[in-house]
Amino acid sequence: MGIWGWVVAGAFAGTVAGLGRHLAILLGRAYRPERAGAMGSPAQGVLYAFTWGMMPWAKESTRLHLLAYLRGVVFHIGIGAAFLALLVSPWRAQMAPALRWGLVALTAVGGLAGFAGLVARIAEARLRRLSTPDDFFSVTLVSLFTLAAGAAWVVPPLLPVFYVLAVATLLYIPFGKIRHCFYFFFSRYFFGVGFGRRGVIGWGKAHE
Amino acid sequence: MSETVNAALAAFERVLDRRVLAALEVCARCGICADSCHVFASTGEFQDTPTARSEAVRRFYRRRHDPLGQIFPWWVRAKDATEEDLDALTEAAFATCTLCQRCAMNCPLGVDTALIMKAARAMLTAVGKAPEMLVQLADAAIVRGENPDLFREVYKEIVADLEQQARERLDDPTVRIPMDKQGADILYVALSGAHTILPAAIIFHVAGADWTLSAFEASNYGVFLGNPEKAQAIAQRIVDEATRLGVKQIVLTECGHAYAAMRWEAPNWFGRDFPFRVRSIVEVLAEYVQQGRLPLDPSANPEPVTYHDSCNLGRKGGLLEEPRIVLRAVAQNFREMTPNRAEAYCCGGGGGLVAIPEWEEKRLRAGRKKAEQIRASGAPLVATSCENCFLQIRDLSAHYHLGVEVTGLMELVVNALLMARAKAKTAPQPVAVAA
Repeated sequence: MGIWGWVVAGAFAGTVAGLGRHLAILLGRAYRPERAGAMGSPAQGVLYAFTWGMMPWAKESTRLHLLAYLRGVVFHIGIGAAFLALLVSPWRAQMAPALRWGLVALTAVGGLAGFAGLVARIAEARLRRLSTPDDFFSVTLVSLFTLAAGAAWVVPPLLPVFYVLAVATLLYIPFGKIRHCFYFFFSRYFFGVGFGRRGVIGWGKAHE
Repeated sequence: MSETVNAALAAFERVLDRRVLAALEVCARCGICADSCHVFASTGEFQDTPTARSEAVRRFYRRRHDPLGQIFPWWVRAKDATEEDLDALTEAAFATCTLCQRCAMNCPLGVDTALIMKAARAMLTAVGKAPEMLVQLADAAIVRGENPDLFREVYKEIVADLEQQARERLDDPTVRIPMDKQGADILYVALSGAHTILPAAIIFHVAGADWTLSAFEASNYGVFLGNPEKAQAIAQRIVDEATRLGVKQIVLTECGHAYAAMRWEAPNWFGRDFPFRVRSIVEVLAEYVQQGRLPLDPSANPEPVTYHDSCNLGRKGGLLEEPRIVLRAVAQNFREMTPNRAEAYCCGGGGGLVAIPEWEEKRLRAGRKKAEQIRASGAPLVATSCENCFLQIRDLSAHYHLGVEVTGLMELVVNALLMARAKAKTAPQPVAVAA
């Protein structure tokens, strides 16, 4: 593994350590499960929360703001592609062209979606008022990282830039708002368990 | 920091469990929840968005718990809490959030702002910043529970009068409103108004139910305060009564928060589920309809009627179809509001707001979205199964000149039941033909 490999691995270890600290803090807090007899299925609620409940038609907010929803989806797919690109970057020369260009496309579109979100956050008065400096920085950093993932594969001299941005992103994850990617799983789980056991969500529940 | 602020923060730490912590940490401040809030949808003001409310708590949470909030507070807008902040949070948590959870339903990440506001209420109540009326109502209920005999004889006289009224309405001298009946199937818990006792008595009699009337009322203002100790004390008297009488189930009258409190939250306060079922009268009515235990003639309710889903019964309680089963059986022209069920808008009077006179203008303003829904339905009659929603919608009708009447489900059922019985009495009897 080259020097960058060690640096990125070290940054990833920092991410794991930082998120590990968050996990320890979370698990150190009391968990007060509902004791009332269930009316519905908590398991079905959790499954719904992570699958059907994430679809754009499942919530009024995403139906009303479909463009923002799609922008977010594309952005997060791009982020995932960027991390995949980071992982396989030592073997990029051996990768099938279709896969290589697929990752480039996803990261390019994802990164642009991220910047579009940043523009929205600056331009919309309510979002601007809501945002903290961390919000602006986090979106900028992750969007640059995502764009750099594709760019570095097209323009190999940009690879060190990609690795620097990757290290910065990895190290910042536990500190800034990017850590919502970690808390997402707990939040959706609690949502699913709570509304699922009350028979509000799950399959066969009427939303009109 | 002042003593009050320190005490408030200490109280907040006690309620900061995993669910609250996840809700505080996960928000991406995307703002997509804003339109889901009936208050923001009605006022359009930034501070009425769910995120603005929860950020008011996150600021001091980050100051205490987030490394960046401790070292570079400006970076994450962390701040030390002040008494002014607590006063502003009191208004956010009690006056502009009804804990309806419509925002949680609409958040892609599942941020439960209502849960954060509930934690804020607990913190503010602990330092004496809760609205005085809610505290008085909760304390009054606790006093009544500690001295039941003081009120029992007066209550029995009122019940005896209602029993007579039920007999007259049904033209049936055998109607009874039993109290303290040992081993009854149902312990029915009403509110303090006759409109929650009389229709139930009629329905239970016709359905042949084995029931007894609770000496206590279902309302639990400890819940609105976020004070589980007071909430448990208020619920204790009903639990003790149910245990003493050995009933199989507690059935709560048409009251959203009372149902949510006893059905879903009380087992958490008591640390155990109950040996008896806890249901809403709405569930029982739907069951009677499906079992054919009530003769019903929907022509008794010919006017178009729409249904307001109480947040506590519907989105938070899971009773989404039961009211509709009843309405389709008792009303000739039932029409839905849009949206409805789990996506229904809060009426604006929840979370105890309808009981707080100084915030009347705020709750009427917050109810604009519900008023628009009612107007759009074109129905002159609005049915709801929650007393606070009933009061709020009645006030909304006056405020927004809707010209609608508001009713509970039980009253519609009684109308249909009495009509069916009256028609059965006047129907021509079959003539016996000699062989």
